[in-house]
Amino acid sequence: MEREIKVLQEKATRDIDGARTLEELEEVRRRYLGRKGALAQFIKRLGTAPQEVRPLLGQQINRLREELENLYASRMRALEEEALQRRLAEETLDITLPGRRRKIGRLHILTRTVREIQEIFLRMGFEVVEGPEVEIELYNFERLNVPRDHPARDMQDTFYLEGNPDWLLRTHTTAVDVRVMEGRRPPMRVLSTGHCYRRDAPDASHSPMFHQADGFMVGEGVTFADLKGVLMTFAREFFGPQTRTRFRPSFFPFTEPSAEMEISCVFCGGKGCAVCGNGWLEILGCGMFHPRVLEMAGIDPERYTAFAFGMGVERPAMLKYGIDDIRLYFENDLRFLEQF
Amino acid sequence: MRVLISWLSEYVDVPISIPELSERLSMAGLAVEAVEPFGDDFVLDIELTPNRPDCMSMLGIAREVSVLLDLPLRPPKVDLREEQEEASRYISVEILDPELCPRYVARVILDVEVGPSPPWMQRRLEAAGIRAINNVVDVTNYVMLELGQPLHAFDYDRLRGGRIIVRRAMEGETLLTLDGEVRSLDPSMLVIADVERPVALAGIIGGAETEIGPSTRRVLLEAAYFHPTSIRRTSKRLGLRTEASSRFERGMDPNGPVIASARACQLLQSVARGRVLAGAVDVYPLQVSPRRIRLRPERLKRLLGVEVPGEKIEQILEKLGCAVTRGESLEVIPPTFRPDLAIEEDLIEEVARIYGYNQIPAKMPVEATTQGRRDPVLEIEDTIREILVRCGFHEVHTYTLTNPQVFQRIRVPEGDALREVVRLRNPLVEDHTILRTTLVPGLLQVLSTNAARGTKDVHIFELGKTFHPLSGEVQERRELGLAMMGELTEGNWNLRPEQVQATFYHLKGAVETLFEELGVSGYQLRRGTRPWLHPGRSAELLLDGTVIAVLGEVHPEVARHYDLPLRAYLATVDIEAILPFVSLRRAYRPIPKFPAVYRDLAVVVEEEIPSGEVEKVIAEACGSLLERIELFDLYQGPPVPEGHKSLAYTLTFRAGDRTLSSEEVEELLARARQLLTQRLNAWIRGQ
Repeated sequence: MEREIKVLQEKATRDIDGARTLEELEEVRRRYLGRKGALAQFIKRLGTAPQEVRPLLGQQINRLREELENLYASRMRALEEEALQRRLAEETLDITLPGRRRKIGRLHILTRTVREIQEIFLRMGFEVVEGPEVEIELYNFERLNVPRDHPARDMQDTFYLEGNPDWLLRTHTTAVDVRVMEGRRPPMRVLSTGHCYRRDAPDASHSPMFHQADGFMVGEGVTFADLKGVLMTFAREFFGPQTRTRFRPSFFPFTEPSAEMEISCVFCGGKGCAVCGNGWLEILGCGMFHPRVLEMAGIDPERYTAFAFGMGVERPAMLKYGIDDIRLYFENDLRFLEQF
Repeated sequence: MRVLISWLSEYVDVPISIPELSERLSMAGLAVEAVEPFGDDFVLDIELTPNRPDCMSMLGIAREVSVLLDLPLRPPKVDLREEQEEASRYISVEILDPELCPRYVARVILDVEVGPSPPWMQRRLEAAGIRAINNVVDVTNYVMLELGQPLHAFDYDRLRGGRIIVRRAMEGETLLTLDGEVRSLDPSMLVIADVERPVALAGIIGGAETEIGPSTRRVLLEAAYFHPTSIRRTSKRLGLRTEASSRFERGMDPNGPVIASARACQLLQSVARGRVLAGAVDVYPLQVSPRRIRLRPERLKRLLGVEVPGEKIEQILEKLGCAVTRGESLEVIPPTFRPDLAIEEDLIEEVARIYGYNQIPAKMPVEATTQGRRDPVLEIEDTIREILVRCGFHEVHTYTLTNPQVFQRIRVPEGDALREVVRLRNPLVEDHTILRTTLVPGLLQVLSTNAARGTKDVHIFELGKTFHPLSGEVQERRELGLAMMGELTEGNWNLRPEQVQATFYHLKGAVETLFEELGVSGYQLRRGTRPWLHPGRSAELLLDGTVIAVLGEVHPEVARHYDLPLRAYLATVDIEAILPFVSLRRAYRPIPKFPAVYRDLAVVVEEEIPSGEVEKVIAEACGSLLERIELFDLYQGPPVPEGHKSLAYTLTFRAGDRTLSSEEVEELLARARQLLTQRLNAWIRGQ
């Protein structure tokens, strides 16, 4: 029996090592280690062996079982590892095939720009409001000290509407300033944004519809120096900290003094280039509200002073992003929209 | 205004470089737009603001330079040798409308020799962009450029009756003007007439019949002050803008005519050998009296935020031509050539302008603070945009201006409310004649434009206003539009188009997501009837009886009108209608502690029965323990009988206070089966 055990040991070791697959290995395990396997048979036959060798044989069988189980386990690990390696090899992908993407949406660059402008002024304590796009002469012109025969009221510049001789499409969001001032008491810091309209033939730099951001601040002792501080802050926040500004005298019927704010050219940094010419770019119109404007809004111009400013949205965005044609904003070509 | 440097230098020294000069002028409000070489000289092209008619002359610009550089101004010396004979013997002037013509100055020059003007004069005119004609006309233009005052020369011998009458035109009168046009006049227009007929359109253009020609020997020289508004109206009405009208319409100096006509006479003597009769016939019925303006230095400081010393203020204003009297505050009489200086703030601007805007310090406001906030409606709009962007839509901005043809393209019938539009009174182009009443055509156009350029997969939204005439007002309504066409994902190799392209249900899902995120719930669904949508594939959502959204597949005919290459889907949401229901407040709800029980239920019903009905019956049968119903399969074909469909749902049951037993769930399912059979004649698959 001792000899048989020896033979079995050699055979079983060979078979375990020779198993090529997990199935074969399982078959081998059943053959030797299973409930009806070869080792179980030995245990059964142990009773027939002489009394004095039984413990020794028993020990030998147990040792063999232990040895075979270890062998089996390590063979199993090897085969599993092999199987895993095979599977991994088989499952290799062509990683250069295109990724499957969800399309993401984007805000229109004009919305983003309007919002950016709003955020800057919100941080400076401005309230953001909105007003009607269809206006009446009273708010668009008269209350802004633009008299009936002022060139700005030419039919050429303003879209008028049928149905009422007073109706027009607002030419600036400054009309909203008047509406807001009329209903409230100072102090006020207000920014309004939205569509404006001018009767301009569309080309690379003109659009009959465009956006404006327009703001004002009224209080006791609001000065031109405050106007400069607020607008210079805006310019640096919007165009970057390197931006320099300067103020040139200008003319608007609703401000006195009036000014035009220019920024150092975003393309050449102020050295002078094909876009700016002299190193400066006009960005917005501003000034101290004309006393008549305050008066007409029911605000005492002796007690309160106010600054106001108005800017386009399309142009600053064109400068900031290098967009060369205003019509791109309203064509909505996805290849344009997707860039922002 | 075109300024020749050598000419300018006659009135003021220019000791600085041209770029520096340009810079100084620009920073004082006279924007130098371009510097052009002119022979060995330069021309500055200055864009003037409309409040500065005084700068429409060399002398005006020279005055600014003299103030800016603190140099003396040298106005031209008028040195006139007059004849003995009085001009008033030749001409009398009668102003019938002093309102429109407060002043008219006439001079008479005899024995002129009409010919070309000297080269130096022609050159200066050319630099200014004015064509040389003959020495008499050139002198009038030259003096206009030099001093700003427009002048007009008549051939005295072609005037009838020796009398100038300034009056309104009479109905039916016409005038052949110098540009060869016959102008029909009306009583809103001011004319210069002789005793018989109009001979010039006052302040705008002369008449051809009294034009200076080679045979002209005697000249009547006109220098007048016309009311700006009248000139502007007439010029606009006739569509005729001239060097003269563009000056008069901004307001000239009422005292300009006397000096300017003397200066012109002096030049006519020298370049046309004319003999100038003594005196000017100066009719000035409506004296323009100078204004007195009080300027308080403390007001200046309060407005500018900087203190400018009193002497500095005085000095600036005096150099600009103002008379200044010092007292408690300054009493300032602006020169008559500065009609723009009317109130204290105007003077403050002048001081600031010359002192330099850039000398004023910048500071942040220290006044009473206000809280920055956005209008709540704008916040909601922003939230809507965010939601849709997260859903994969690109935002677009389309024109609010459109035309009525779009209604036909989207099949809106005559008489439909959408066709009640606000029209532009003065449209510029045919495409833009009305204000939009719907976002639909704009969105379709964006799909169309992109498809035509090779982008077929387009998922977009627009949030904007539509405009509706409503009982004598224009109502502006906020509307949202969504459009979907083509693939929702990229990198779709090995996937079939129907697996990746947008469908009705994708659009519906987007609208549902939007409403869920906005906290708008409890709406009902019914079939839609909008003409631009496929009648079998459109729906309306109603809340409290109001249609809040319309969605569906674009009608095939509309798709054809817009050349859409794929099926497209459109939704419009009435933002005004949902605003009262929007709730952006969030409150934490505990995550369920007890497990859910899931059961599948497959129901066969006649194919006309909508899934929504089946869901309603299941929900009714199961009550509050049913947490969720989710359709996972819709099937038609064997073994489901003809005319029927199988709908398979996953039902989620959960109780908030215990783990549900399967007996409880089975009982609910049995109730559902029973009610489905009863109500919808359904049978349950797998039974």
